Amino acid sequence: MNCSTNNPAKRRYMWRFSVTMLLYVLFLVLAVWAFVHRHPTGPLAWVLAVLPALAIIGQMAAFGLYLREEKDEFQVALGVQSMLWGIGGTLVVTVVWGFLENFLRLRHLDLILVYPIFCALSGIAYGLLQLRYR
Amino acid sequence: MKNRLRVLRAERDWSQADLAQRLEVSRQSVNAIETGKFDPSLPLAFKLARLFETTIETIFSDEV
Repeated sequence: MNCSTNNPAKRRYMWRFSVTMLLYVLFLVLAVWAFVHRHPTGPLAWVLAVLPALAIIGQMAAFGLYLREEKDEFQVALGVQSMLWGIGGTLVVTVVWGFLENFLRLRHLDLILVYPIFCALSGIAYGLLQLRYR
Repeated sequence: MKNRLRVLRAERDWSQADLAQRLEVSRQSVNAIETGKFDPSLPLAFKLARLFETTIETIFSDEV
């Protein structure tokens, strides 16, 4: 995403994105540490296992807030378009990989990779759209 | 959608950045509208019309 600092909506988005990214790292470290050293069980284990995902949900919420707060409708359109390319691309990659897994016994694609794939594809789409609308 | 933004801008000697500042959007947005790659919403079209003291139909035309 273009980080032009004179756009308050983008500034707030970058701030929220950074906070959720930091929380993701902290929650992941905490969860890994807890499962390796403390072997939690019951509801605590569920909460710890889900913690990193909560930060990712927060990241999605941050993007949703950006789309709502952005006053420049063209920038909103760019954000939505890149997200749609990201969603479509992720569906293509995962469904193709799923069939390859079933028929060719390829290595299992871990579901936690779905979000990074979506982010990477959305980022690429955003970059290409930036080039198109230079 | 065709438009006369470039002409209207030139008449006032405004750059794309000047117009963007007046519309409170990015220069990239002005460029996308001006080159017909992006059609503005009605509120933005009205804002443009008010800024250039004209009507929306004077700025935009649906002729291909």
